[in-house]
Amino acid sequence: MLKSLKLGALAALMAGAAFANPYEEYAGTTLIVNFPAHPHYNAAMKVLPEFTKETGIEVEVDQLPYLKMRERQTLELAQDEGEYDLIAYVVFSKADYVFADQLENLAKYFMNPKLADPNYDAEDLIDGYVENIGVAGGTKGYLPGKTGSLFGIPFGSETSVLAYRKDIFEKHGIAEPETYDQLLDAACKIPEVEPGMGGMASRAASGHQASHAFLLHLAPLGGRVFDDQWNPIINNAAGVAAAEALKTIVDCGPEGAMSFGPAEAANAFSNGDAAMFMDSIAFMPGFENPDRSKVVGKVGYAMHPKGVRRGSQTGGFGIAIPKNAENKEAAFLLMQWLTSKKGDLMVAMEGGNPSRFSTYQDAGLNEKFPFASTFGEALKYADPDWRPIIPVWGKINADIGTTLSKVLTEDLDIQEALDGVADRTKAVMEDAGYYTWQ
Amino acid sequence: MRIAMANRMTPYMFMAPAVIIMAIALLYPLGYMVWGSFREWNPSQSIGEAEFVGLKNYIFLWSDPNFHESLGVTLRFAFFVVTIEMVLGVGLALLLDRDIRGMSVLRTMFILPMMIAPVVVGLMWRYMYHPTIGTFNRFLETIGLPKVDWLGDYALTSIIIADIWQWTPFIFILSLAALQSLPRSALEAARIDGATPWQQIIHIKLPLMMPVLIVTGLLRLIDAFKVLEVILVMTNGGPGLSTEILALRISRTATEFRELGVAAAMSNYLLILLLLLTVAMFGFTRWQEARAAKLRMVAQDDDQ
Repeated sequence: MLKSLKLGALAALMAGAAFANPYEEYAGTTLIVNFPAHPHYNAAMKVLPEFTKETGIEVEVDQLPYLKMRERQTLELAQDEGEYDLIAYVVFSKADYVFADQLENLAKYFMNPKLADPNYDAEDLIDGYVENIGVAGGTKGYLPGKTGSLFGIPFGSETSVLAYRKDIFEKHGIAEPETYDQLLDAACKIPEVEPGMGGMASRAASGHQASHAFLLHLAPLGGRVFDDQWNPIINNAAGVAAAEALKTIVDCGPEGAMSFGPAEAANAFSNGDAAMFMDSIAFMPGFENPDRSKVVGKVGYAMHPKGVRRGSQTGGFGIAIPKNAENKEAAFLLMQWLTSKKGDLMVAMEGGNPSRFSTYQDAGLNEKFPFASTFGEALKYADPDWRPIIPVWGKINADIGTTLSKVLTEDLDIQEALDGVADRTKAVMEDAGYYTWQ
Repeated sequence: MRIAMANRMTPYMFMAPAVIIMAIALLYPLGYMVWGSFREWNPSQSIGEAEFVGLKNYIFLWSDPNFHESLGVTLRFAFFVVTIEMVLGVGLALLLDRDIRGMSVLRTMFILPMMIAPVVVGLMWRYMYHPTIGTFNRFLETIGLPKVDWLGDYALTSIIIADIWQWTPFIFILSLAALQSLPRSALEAARIDGATPWQQIIHIKLPLMMPVLIVTGLLRLIDAFKVLEVILVMTNGGPGLSTEILALRISRTATEFRELGVAAAMSNYLLILLLLLTVAMFGFTRWQEARAAKLRMVAQDDDQ
């Protein structure tokens, strides 16, 4: 594999020598990029020297904890001249940055024959990711559509899959959950037949975590937060079903599940305290790491089960060029290189999350990471609209999360609790001007 | 004439550097916050671009149930924490105000919790409270008692315990210093008059320590209203809003909800609350001193 990579790089170099080198004009430039401290970006940083070798463009990385990034970027992007040439952003920052007109529209770069690589093959990029992370201005403002355009490219994106204990499931004759009914049955059957073990480990802590867990079930069970007119419909039958599913999972889950964040939930699973774990693919490589996991080799990976439809989460990061960047064109070249077929595969081989279908089909990658093919299949159902990306989302998200936490811990009536969320959400949306045209 | 003028100006000139530094370091940010609290201000905007909305943020908070709940949590937290810490801290100081061998080592050990970074304290307690691998539940299990969901069902109690562990030493160390600087003559006189140790504490030591205790309590109170990191790490405000103290809500409003105006208004409410408490506390000491002075006068009159 490595050999073929080297050959590829060599071929690119030779091609560069034979034709005009598109990178020549920018050689010697130093790009300053802002990346999160995240396994995917750690992998990306391992391939950056290759980029410099090939293009002569230097890259300096400013790495921050991902929850700190937005604060830093908000300050940086609001200045006349920013420090960063390329930023990685968390998906829910898209709405804020695009709305504040702080990101470059990528059309002019892809139109520029001197910059755009004709072999880039944008069709190969995973649809749900591009729609969720890259495009803004279409349907509802945050989804793709006829009025939308591209502001970023997914890089380090994630979807949800189900990890389960093959050994436990086989021992008790439980089938791999295909549907939500099977999932919930299995979740509550396991603590009965396997004392001391919880069914499924899930995030549930108050705030963002509880909201995330709820939304994870909402999309496959047929629900949405808003209808097409921005009316909150979180309290309809599907919403109640999703909240009930979350409550069942937490009640049948490992001890202390009510205060789990994603790391605790993943720990509970890798420690053998729970038989299932459904969350972002970013956690899965950790289960196969013998230093940190007691369940190496015992884990099966399945697609996010189907409710009335399939719909796994979309999240993670994208990369974009700030409006106030100094070296925009060189930044575009880096962005294009990292997300090209070659770059994507190189990052994936180092343990990153692929952004392309072709990467998931690569034989070398499947050999190194056995779950890659399941993830590739799951991505076809990645739902870009599982969570709205609008500027007021932070507030609504917190309300959903605290209310559901009360449902889990204080036994609040689910319908009543969700009605309350819908009412408050309506007021927030009214205040933000979403009903101006009604 | 000139000299007289210069003489009159001298004190102001000496004060000027301090006044300028105060203005820049204290009043400017405070003014900025007050100014910002009247605006609908999102972190992507500069303060000039933000829309002026008058008292809207304050009025909104006045009727916001989440703010009320958070204020309630803060008041409960501060009340329990300060009361229990004062009792324990002063009690410990009274017990340890004697010559014990190795006292200096003991004292250093007592103030260790205070020196640990708050984030570390939060993490430490979070793991001690952990439902399955935590120290407390493992202990309960070995002695055959049922496990407790510390950070779930008893979240507020659990964070109060953690705060008491961390900050009792602060009160202990200040009370001990106050105790050791008490006039020996008063204590000796009391002993000669046959006062029991208990009477000495109630009638001599505590009243004489009072000014220090009030300031100590006030410092702890102000700190308890602003504590953030330990709770952020331990529960992040959950479950529900049961441990979301005001400082945490302010930080979430600014970063998560991106409403700097509302966050500023909330900070101002907190500031006003603390100011009122401080003024009330000093008012109370004034009144007490005045009462004591009056009693002394009456006593002197009686003597004559």
